This record gives sequence, structure tokens and C-alpha cells, in this order.
Amino acid sequence: MSSAQAASLVINLTDSEPGFADEIKELGGEELLECIQCAKCAAACPMVLAGFSFFNKRIIQAILLGLREVLLDDSSIWACQSCNRCTEVCPREVNPFEIIQAMRRVAVREFALPTMSIEGLKSLYDTGHAVYLAGAGNTRAKVGLPEKPPSTVAYPEALKELQAIMRKTALADLGIIPMNGFGVADTCEV
Amino acid sequence: MKLGFFVGCNTAFNRPDLERATRYAFPALGVELDDLEGQSCCPVWGTMPSVDLVGWCAVAARNWAIAEEKGLDIVTVCGSCYGSLAETRYKMLTHPDIKAQVNEILKEIGKEYKGTSKVRLAFNYLYYEVGPDRIREVIKHKLEGLTVAIQPGCHSLWPSKVYVDKEEDPFHPKVLKEMCEVLGATVPYYSRLLDCCGMGAMRSTNRERSFSLFQKKLVSIKEEVDPDLIVTGCSSCLIQFDTAQEFLRKDREINFEIPALHYMQVLALCLGADPEQVTGLARTNVGQVVKKILEG
Ligand code: SF4
Ligand code: SF4
Repeated sequence: MSSAQAASLVINLTDSEPGFADEIKELGGEELLECIQCAKCAAACPMVLAGFSFFNKRIIQAILLGLREVLLDDSSIWACQSCNRCTEVCPREVNPFEIIQAMRRVAVREFALPTMSIEGLKSLYDTGHAVYLAGAGNTRAKVGLPEKPPSTVAYPEALKELQAIMRKTALADLGIIPMNGFGVADTCEV
Repeated sequence: MKLGFFVGCNTAFNRPDLERATRYAFPALGVELDDLEGQSCCPVWGTMPSVDLVGWCAVAARNWAIAEEKGLDIVTVCGSCYGSLAETRYKMLTHPDIKAQVNEILKEIGKEYKGTSKVRLAFNYLYYEVGPDRIREVIKHKLEGLTVAIQPGCHSLWPSKVYVDKEEDPFHPKVLKEMCEVLGATVPYYSRLLDCCGMGAMRSTNRERSFSLFQKKLVSIKEEVDPDLIVTGCSSCLIQFDTAQEFLRKDREINFEIPALHYMQVLALCLGADPEQVTGLARTNVGQVVKKILEG
């Protein structure tokens, strides 16, 4: 290993941000401090198998070390499959999946979220579906279904209800997507 | 018997043939499906769950309230819908403070979350409530002589604490295997049976890594089972198995193709549905295996 490579693996603890663990706990990662770093979760995690640099155990470790910027600079948290293998095997009921979600919530508050999430949220707000294909009506008809599914796309009143709810959530305070106008979303595949 | 059919996004827009199959198979087995008019996205992981815990539960709670008002349980063919709905139910029922905050938000639209309905995954519901014997009695076609590799899907198994339907051992799942055997198929084990297919957040974040994960699984299926068909329990797994093989072939990573269908599509075929309507949007070449099923 070259010295430059080795240097990139050194964790600089002077970068540690106090209060980071509390932030995670407040945003849903309640059981953070129960983790004993046993790595059972890592052994079960598809992100490890696929070669991501951060995954359940390492994300928790980085949080405990206060390495907020390091995690914000890495896209791994967005590759979590929400599969909950980790939650199933953790001997300490840490719920690592929820800690990763909490880390995403931290990132969202720094506007460090991927385009696919912004697009998904917009589409969810505008149509009621995070994944939406504007031209699906024809294919639906071809297989003998009504052009619109019986969802918010067929019931505008229901869409208004959903939007009213979303405006009452933290999403509205964050200003990540426009929530006043009546945007009509085109295709969105997240 | 009556259930609220939670269609979700991918099934409604990407694979309406799967929606059609579901709407065919349930009534054919004596289960009526309600439309849960006005339902929305579950919401899926990369959206509200990644923004705010209470906001996630609130969007899901509106869906829940639609089913509760009709006194119905929910059924879905999508692992993500199943997971997100079951997680939010579990969170609201185990954390009264979350439930209270959600209901404060729902007041805005005159709804309330009570916690009276449950969510079931289609093949689980059929296994536990309709039963293998009844299915065996009603089917018109069989998968006789066909070998199937199963892909139950992450969310059909974990975290088992949030689900009503639990496998005896969530790391040795049996339900989907038995449900395929009921249709007459041979269903061998393969070493990567429990692996994730790589669809979803991973595919959106890093397609190469998602496909390499998928490839490991697919090659294990090919080398150890060499099946006539892959049967998934989840619509997202279906999309990965149905679309990623083509990419891997173009990249010369593999030189074969295995047809892939969702369990509800195979069941609908066995129950006598029109193959064009219930499998017509498959990208893998399912023609041959569908023909064999209809002859069986
Ligand atoms: S989250 Fe649980 S399984 Fe993972 S390292 Fe910590 S204690 Fe072990
Ligand atoms: S939920 Fe995320 S962190 Fe946990 S095992 Fe699955 S991919 Fe890994």
C-alpha cells in the first residue's frame, strides 16, 4: 500500500464533532449506544457483499467517533437496501437500519441528498407515487386494466389529502421540494 | 374473504401485468379484492423514511386509515410496500408518542390511525388463509417437470418482528418453496438463495455494484439449479431479474437468460388466466416456459 493510500485510511479524530451521536438518536437512531461493534450486522449486509465503503457496523462506528463530515461525503448510506437483515441478527437490538435512516435524515438536513431522492419526493408530492410513469396508461389498458390505478392519480381529492399531510411534516420546513404550486410530475423512476 | 389490494408504484406503472395477475388469482381462489380508493405510495424508503420518522408514518397512516375505515386487511405483491407499511404499523403501535404525533397530523384531513388493520404479502396470505390444499384443488395447469429457483425477497423475511406472518426460521424460509411445489414444480436449494437481488436503493445509487451483486446470485442459480424459471415473491425482485440479465449479457458478463416471473403471475397462469394479460410485459423470454405451464 502506498503512503498516500494509507493516509486516506487514517481516521483523523480531531475532525470529530461532539453532539453527532445525540443528533442521530433524536432523528430515530435511539439504540445507537447499545452497539458493541460485534459485526454480526456486517456479516449479513448486502452492502458489504457489493463492496460499499460504509455499511451498518462502520456507519455506527463513524457516528460514535463523531465523523459527521466523513459520512456526509460518502454516498454509501443511500445504497442501504432497507432489507433489515441487520435488525434481525443484531444481538443488542440496535436496529442498524434505523440508524442509517437517521444518518440519511442528517444528510437531508444538510441538503446532502441524492437527486433520485429529491425526484422521488417531488413525484410523491405531485402524483402520490414516488415511482410514476406518465405513459403507463396504454400498457395498463393493453393488459385489461383501467388506465389509472385506483390511487391518488385517479382520486384528486385523495392527492390533496396526501399533500396536506406532507405539508404538515418536517419535509415542509426543509424546503427541499416546492410544495405550493401544482406541479404536474412527468415520469419518475427512483 | 376480502382484502384491500395495495397496488404500489412499480406494479401499477412498470408491471401492470402483475397487477392484472393478482386481480385474476385472488377472486379465482375466492378472495375479493377492494381497491382502497385514493391509496398512495407506501412511502418507499428513499423518500419520506429518509426525511423524517413521523412524516414517514403519517404518509403511511393515511393509507392505513383507508383500509381501517373499510375494516379490511391489506395485501400487496411488493416487498417494499409490505416492509414500509409493516414497519410503520410496528412503530406506531410500539411508540404511542409517534402514533399521537401522526394522529395530530391526520386531524388535518379528518382521519385517524387506529392500528386495527394488518398487512400481508400475497403468497403468505394464500399459504396461511387459503391453504395449499385448496390451491391444489382449483388449479387447471401444473408446473409438472419444471424446475424453479425461488427468490422470496428481503422484505418477506426481515425484520420478522414487524410482520404478522413469520417463517419458523427467517433464514431458512419455506413458504414460497412450498407454494411453488403446490403448483407441481421442483424447487431445489441454491447457496445464494438468501442473497439480496440488488434492486432498489443500491441500483439507483451504484448500478455497477448492484449488478455485480445480482450477478453473483444469478450465477449461483444457473450453476447449481439451472432452472426453467425464477419465481419471485416481490415486484422489485421481479424487475431486477427481468431487466438486469439483459445488461449483464450486453456487458458479456453472462451468456444465458433465465425467464423470471412473480409468484402471482405463475399462479394466475395455473388458474387459467390469459398469458398475454398476466405475463405480457416480461422482458425475459417467458414464452417457452409459459407454454409448458399451459400444457402441464
Ligand atoms: S449494530 Fe448490533 S450487530 Fe451490528 S455491530 Fe452493533 S451490536 Fe453488533
Ligand atoms: S438494512 Fe441496510 S445496513 Fe441493514 S443489512 Fe440491509 S442493506 Fe445492510
